[in-house]
Amino acid sequence: MVASAVAVEGLSLQVGAFALQDISFSLSAGETFVILGPSGAGKSLLLETLAGFYRPARGRILIGGRDLTDAPPEARRIALMFQDYALFPHLNVAQNVGFGLRFSPRRSGAEPVGALLKRLGLEHLAGRKPARLSGGEQQRVALARALAMEPALFLFDEPLSALDARSRDTLRSELKTFLGRAGVPAIYVTHDQLEALALADKMAVMSNGALLQVGTPSEIFNAPASEVVANFVGVETVLEGTVLSVSEGMAAIGIGGRILHALANDAAAANASVLACIRPEDVALARTTHPDSSVRNQFPARVTAVAAAGPLFKITLDAGFPLVAYVSKQSYLELGLVSGVALIASVKATAVHLIGRAAPP
Amino acid sequence: MTPDPARRQGFGQPRGLMFVFSLAGGLLLVFIALPLLRLYGAQTPASLMRVAAMAEVRSAILLSVEAAFLTAACAALLGVPLAYLLARTSFRGKGLVEAIVDLPLAVPHTVVGIALLFVFGRTGIIGAPISELTGYQFWGSAGGIVIAMLYVSAPYTVNAARVGFEAVDPRLEKVARTLGAGRWAVFLQVSLPLAARGILTGLTLTFARSISEFGSVIVLTYYPMTAPVKIYDMFLQFGLGDASAMAALFLAVSLSLFVIFRALFASRRGAAAGERRG
Repeated sequence: MVASAVAVEGLSLQVGAFALQDISFSLSAGETFVILGPSGAGKSLLLETLAGFYRPARGRILIGGRDLTDAPPEARRIALMFQDYALFPHLNVAQNVGFGLRFSPRRSGAEPVGALLKRLGLEHLAGRKPARLSGGEQQRVALARALAMEPALFLFDEPLSALDARSRDTLRSELKTFLGRAGVPAIYVTHDQLEALALADKMAVMSNGALLQVGTPSEIFNAPASEVVANFVGVETVLEGTVLSVSEGMAAIGIGGRILHALANDAAAANASVLACIRPEDVALARTTHPDSSVRNQFPARVTAVAAAGPLFKITLDAGFPLVAYVSKQSYLELGLVSGVALIASVKATAVHLIGRAAPP
Repeated sequence: MTPDPARRQGFGQPRGLMFVFSLAGGLLLVFIALPLLRLYGAQTPASLMRVAAMAEVRSAILLSVEAAFLTAACAALLGVPLAYLLARTSFRGKGLVEAIVDLPLAVPHTVVGIALLFVFGRTGIIGAPISELTGYQFWGSAGGIVIAMLYVSAPYTVNAARVGFEAVDPRLEKVARTLGAGRWAVFLQVSLPLAARGILTGLTLTFARSISEFGSVIVLTYYPMTAPVKIYDMFLQFGLGDASAMAALFLAVSLSLFVIFRALFASRRGAAAGERRG
């Protein structure tokens, strides 16, 4: 297929205090697009406009080459997933999943409700009301309900933000597996950077109704196009790599030609693609190699940029890969940190956070 | 255990408060229940049987029940759509619409009856042309009774149904639309069932208010007599005896209907709340 599965062109709209300014992007089949932004950025307005609840003042929405800009929500086949999944409380699981089929006859080849329930492991819950389901079960019912209508696009409005950290991790990985299998493009909005990193094939940072930068997660995190983007994503180093080996709770990650050691977690399976994240305050700089051998990651690096960041200094380094460190003013003076200085950057393996990625398509 | 001054203070004061409040509340309960209990205490089985055997007493009670049901049906048809609009939209003049909805609660019921005469009476702006065109007259007919009842009792349905609709998460309606449901289908299959107990509560109140209505009914249509009008009529003609016997009978009918409805919808409410909490 040549055309994009989803194309949004120059979408603009003003609703009360919220606005969308010239939003453009395109998605190919099966791609997950994460829009990261603070609350009030217009993320929900964008989703509801895509779903058909607002008519844009300008711009077009094309799905599968069809112009849906003026179509009502019920004619778009765009699934909208809210924070708490908005299951119909008066209907049981099977009725929730079958809800969309009341309005459109099932196409040949589409999955019947029974098969959907079975596929998502919901068979035994068919007669249960939503209030008596766990968070994970609710998510699966909402996904099944959306799948039943064979959506051309999934929209997720911060579905995990109300959950406690532990269920969030579980549901996030379930969702990721689901999106990987469904092959339906998805737009996922969140203010959580980890969530963005974990789910995004492609991502954007949104602020004041505009998409400030669109790119891969590592492009956005490592090469923010503007100060606003940089401030919002933080200056965490995000590196794309491959797991080379896992042993005794430690993973070796190949990043370009370098090897980074990290504490192994769920993402660390041999040959898996991962993102390795390092917070700048966990990067130590020294003139010589650290004598303490427990610091596994020590890289010769060269300073490429220095900037004041509040009481600290933000040092951008080239260690064979881009790396950002925060140092105190005292270290800054002692080490004589200016562009071009060569030194040793070290990071404890416990400070490297691994996030699993779907293998590149 | 260490003595806790805050706790001791918290223990002493509300106890006095609870005592005083219980006393005041108890007085009010006695005030409400005593006259009704006395009404029944004053009856003999013989007098009750005799009045119950009168055809005009039975037909008046039946008419009251029928007219109140019909009124509740009208309130549902006209009040539920308005309640949905008030719950879901905001528009210029909404405050005025809300004030109009509540207006009947503030108008004395004899005034309601007189005002209705100007519209539905013999020379009323609607009553006259309708009687000319169709021969139907609102005075002296069940239609006039329903109109008088509806005027004073409609606000209960509108307000309770509105609260019911407001409690329905708008995102459920949005999700339903993305799943292919048009606006009518969303209303009928999502909003209406989820607001059902608010609506039924409102209809129960409308029914109760209608069946007990006297003032506006007697002004607009003295005949055919509803139970409250018949009781008043008997009181004027024959004094307290038979009137109080019929009052006791009618009260038993209307209260038991009210209690049955409340029990039905209250249990539904309990079930729904239980489901929600899981």
